Amino acid sequence: MSSGRVAKLGALWRLGVAEAAAYRTSLLIWVLATTMPLISLVLWRALAASGPIGDYDQDGFDSYFIAAFVVRQLSVSWVVWDLDSQIRTGALSALLLRPVHPVAHHVMFNLAALPLRTALAAPVAIVVLLATGGISITANPIALALAIPAVVFAWCLNFLTQLAIGCLAFWLTKAAALYDVWIGAYVVLAGYLVPTSLFPHGLAEVARVLPFHAALGFPVELLIGRLSTAQALEGIGLQLAWLVAVGAIAALAWRRGLRAYGAFGA
Amino acid sequence: MSAGMERRAVSRHLRLLGAQMRLSMLAALEYRVGFWTEGVVGLAWSLGGVVPLFVAFEHRSDVAGWGPWELVLLTGFFLIISGVYASAVQPAVSKSMTQIRTGTLDYVLLRPVDALASCLTAQFEPWSLLEALTGIGLVIVAAVELELSPSLGQLGALLVVLVSGLVSLVALGVLMLCASFRALELQNLTSLMETLLGFAHWPISVFRGPLKLVFTFVVPFAVMTSYPAQSLIGGLGWPELVGAVGTTLALAIGARVIWGRALRGYTSASS
Repeated sequence: MSSGRVAKLGALWRLGVAEAAAYRTSLLIWVLATTMPLISLVLWRALAASGPIGDYDQDGFDSYFIAAFVVRQLSVSWVVWDLDSQIRTGALSALLLRPVHPVAHHVMFNLAALPLRTALAAPVAIVVLLATGGISITANPIALALAIPAVVFAWCLNFLTQLAIGCLAFWLTKAAALYDVWIGAYVVLAGYLVPTSLFPHGLAEVARVLPFHAALGFPVELLIGRLSTAQALEGIGLQLAWLVAVGAIAALAWRRGLRAYGAFGA
Repeated sequence: MSAGMERRAVSRHLRLLGAQMRLSMLAALEYRVGFWTEGVVGLAWSLGGVVPLFVAFEHRSDVAGWGPWELVLLTGFFLIISGVYASAVQPAVSKSMTQIRTGTLDYVLLRPVDALASCLTAQFEPWSLLEALTGIGLVIVAAVELELSPSLGQLGALLVVLVSGLVSLVALGVLMLCASFRALELQNLTSLMETLLGFAHWPISVFRGPLKLVFTFVVPFAVMTSYPAQSLIGGLGWPELVGAVGTTLALAIGARVIWGRALRGYTSASS
């Protein structure tokens, strides 16, 4: 990468950090609005008071949902809403004129909010850690090492999915509404409300190969030590397969979409 | 105020409500795809939230004392509450927040009607009523399945807790609106409320200790979903009924008072 490109990306990063800092209150509320795993924690903890459910006891649920909260905070992006409105209002034209690819712009903006978001989420996580039995992280060093790429891939998978759906705004007026459908399926199938391993047989096996689970449930289970090294490698492979598939769709939608793009002055 | 003037004030408010509803209806009919994007998706979302309950039945024979059909009954009441939130409370609060932010609330304040009434009817999304209608359907199916034959007293109790639940929901909406006078970036408070509504999926008997108190007396999800179901099944006593009405009155009066103070702090776009 040339130094000019690094400088441009650095500028975008600083811009993104400044924007996140300016909207810190709304960022905090977004953090609080994604505390669904903590709500689930309370409920499942209460249900498990009279004995374990499946292979989860109370401490197991604590670990699972705290990890789910953390992974969700680290893997979140919002490019679908930005892209949707930029295409609809024509603001994308200005981005296309810049010397950086618009997708690089969105990547930097989404990443730049992560440090502040983490800082805002940390107190919430700490309170929950103290109020519950805490989290027990995997003792297997290989699984722990693999958890890092697993979370990174989860972020990539969320970003590319949003990019692919956001690109539909080139043809549709309400592409962001379609993302609601996706996130609805995600909430149920990713292990956001309940670990997918507790699903009835048959459904559980199907849910665990879908991209939703690859984007949340898999890194969470890896982090809290519920997967063997072989299962971990398998999961990473599945994540990569979904990344290639979703990435190809996003790239195709972006190229075709730009040709169909008919904003003012484009 | 004389009786004649009062009557005129009431009819003015009713005309306002009618006009705002009609406008929202016409807009909704223009965007018929909203049936899918708001109605069906909203319903799927709410039903998705029920999945954990039924996963719990895979491993248990009851959830905190509630059987499967009793939970279907509770889910029906949840859909009614969530449908009213999505079709009436959330759109009106969001629209009014935008007006506060842009300063166009000035025009609302100039109207010869109560400003809060104006704000609470600012927008209505009829497609989301699909959720509430499904809820009513589920309640009826579950009542038939459980072979319930509620007495007049039970139906009366149901009416009281249902109205209390809806009034507290609106009062919480007013409080969110008041908060947005203070900080303009509080627009997404309505999403936070949507997340919190997730608690209302579950019977109140799941919760223990401080959370139980919070969901009974502060953010009374118990009044919204558990109590209506209990009133039909027959597990709702006088203490709960009085508690529900008391909590609702406190919330409604508190919201009205805080609204008055928040409005006095509004500086409008021009000043």
